[in-house]
Amino acid sequence: MAFYQENPHAVTKADVVVGIPSFNEAESIGRTTEQVAKGLVEFFGHLNCVIINCDNSSSDGTKEAFFNVSTEVPRIYLSTPPGVRGKGNNLRNLFEKVRELQAQAVVVVEADIKNMAPGWIRKLGEPVLKGAGFVSPLYARHKYEATLTNSIVYPLTRCLYGRRVRQPIAGDCGFKGSLAEEFLKSPFWSEAVEQSGIDIWMATTAMNARIPICQAFMGCPKLHRVKDPYAQLAVLFRQVLSTVYDLMAGCADFWRQVKWSKPTALFGVDNQETETPLPVEINLTRLHERYLQGCNDYADFWQRVFDQTLYHKLEEIRSMGLQHFSIPSQTWARILFDAAIAYRGMAESERATLFDALLPLYLGKVLSFVKRTERMSLQQAEEQVESECTVFEENKPYLVSEWK
Amino acid sequence: MAKILVVDDEEHIRLLYSEELKDAGYEVITAESGFQLLERIEEEKPDLVILDIKMVDYNGLDLLQDIRNRFYDLPVILSTAYDTFKEDMKSIAADFYVVKSFDLTELKKKIAVALETRLPT
Repeated sequence: MAFYQENPHAVTKADVVVGIPSFNEAESIGRTTEQVAKGLVEFFGHLNCVIINCDNSSSDGTKEAFFNVSTEVPRIYLSTPPGVRGKGNNLRNLFEKVRELQAQAVVVVEADIKNMAPGWIRKLGEPVLKGAGFVSPLYARHKYEATLTNSIVYPLTRCLYGRRVRQPIAGDCGFKGSLAEEFLKSPFWSEAVEQSGIDIWMATTAMNARIPICQAFMGCPKLHRVKDPYAQLAVLFRQVLSTVYDLMAGCADFWRQVKWSKPTALFGVDNQETETPLPVEINLTRLHERYLQGCNDYADFWQRVFDQTLYHKLEEIRSMGLQHFSIPSQTWARILFDAAIAYRGMAESERATLFDALLPLYLGKVLSFVKRTERMSLQQAEEQVESECTVFEENKPYLVSEWK
Repeated sequence: MAKILVVDDEEHIRLLYSEELKDAGYEVITAESGFQLLERIEEEKPDLVILDIKMVDYNGLDLLQDIRNRFYDLPVILSTAYDTFKEDMKSIAADFYVVKSFDLTELKKKIAVALETRLPT
């Protein structure tokens, strides 16, 4: 149970719950709560709704900003104990409260979204009330945005679990209330899941639960209050990838049976204009330097984890220079597959080194993608991502055979 | 034998697909429009649907959403003369997107994969 709770409206039951996880979001949670409340009144006004701020004991007045919003929609504040951080910990408190309230539908939105609108609540919530088990958003994205998703999370989860969920770590989602119980009883909670690994963990748990998954077309980009994708890159990379790899180990009986992949249902695509995402600048030279540095720092480690052919390929790529730099899709799939296999047999301390050693390869893959798609439109770049996913699927028999 | 439903308003396409796919070992049924398509699918229980996008009275992309909402995992291959529809978000609800051609090699390949796709139940 949450360490701390304030439930001023004494809510004991709800049909629709919107959860807003936060840590020190006093500046933005007021606006987000206001938009959520408008959405609930406009689209789910006939149902019992509640907004829950699941917080990490913020010290900047997040709770006060949350309660200060003027709305008739009741609100609950939950918090982890002081010093306990992480979105996953926040959402675990939310899941427990959802179970207690016996909610039918749950929507999760991040606290720091600058451009959130009431319609987002409908897009993430309505498919659940119509029968979907899990709803993942589809934001308009620039081709160089969300590189971790494009290079690793989407291709890997798609080829493993056979469901094409394009933005599984977007940070927002909808799900049926009964799924909260599945989340709570999952044996795969880990330190990484308690932090940023929670998004891919929820999506993967939903895929493994064999429930209908829907993607909600949001029609716009998602703009964060503060957005520096590289600020916490190493931490995010480790938490997300370790969650993916832990789930691979735990769900092997499922994914070993999966062949190819299937689409999901879509929601919100009718008469929807799409806003153009803002361009994302990428420093190619810096990415190349990070790859070369990785070659120097982790050559021995790579040789231990990867077979000779793959290692020589990485050396070959190093020798190509920035102008011709390319990590072929098949090589990339092998890197991630072999790393997953190695991860399984490693001690915790060695796993940390594995992620440090994979990070320059990931940055190299981003560089490779940027070079490959620099003259492409967003649509063409998207087709390139889809084509890389197909390569992952084609190479999956290798993974299945090596996964002893 | 897998049963394939071909939905296309052009008779020569229905004929071409029927003959070639029958030769390839599939059972083929056809529909000339999207009229009562969901009911037809309910009755015939095809293993896969090949759906034209641009039909006189029906938009295949809208039909695709209806199919996906009711028959969540039924494989659907969009078949069209125009590759520009690929840019429509609605097309991602299809298993595959194939540009019409008299050479059905690509289509047959996609059919094989779509029918082979396996998710544990």
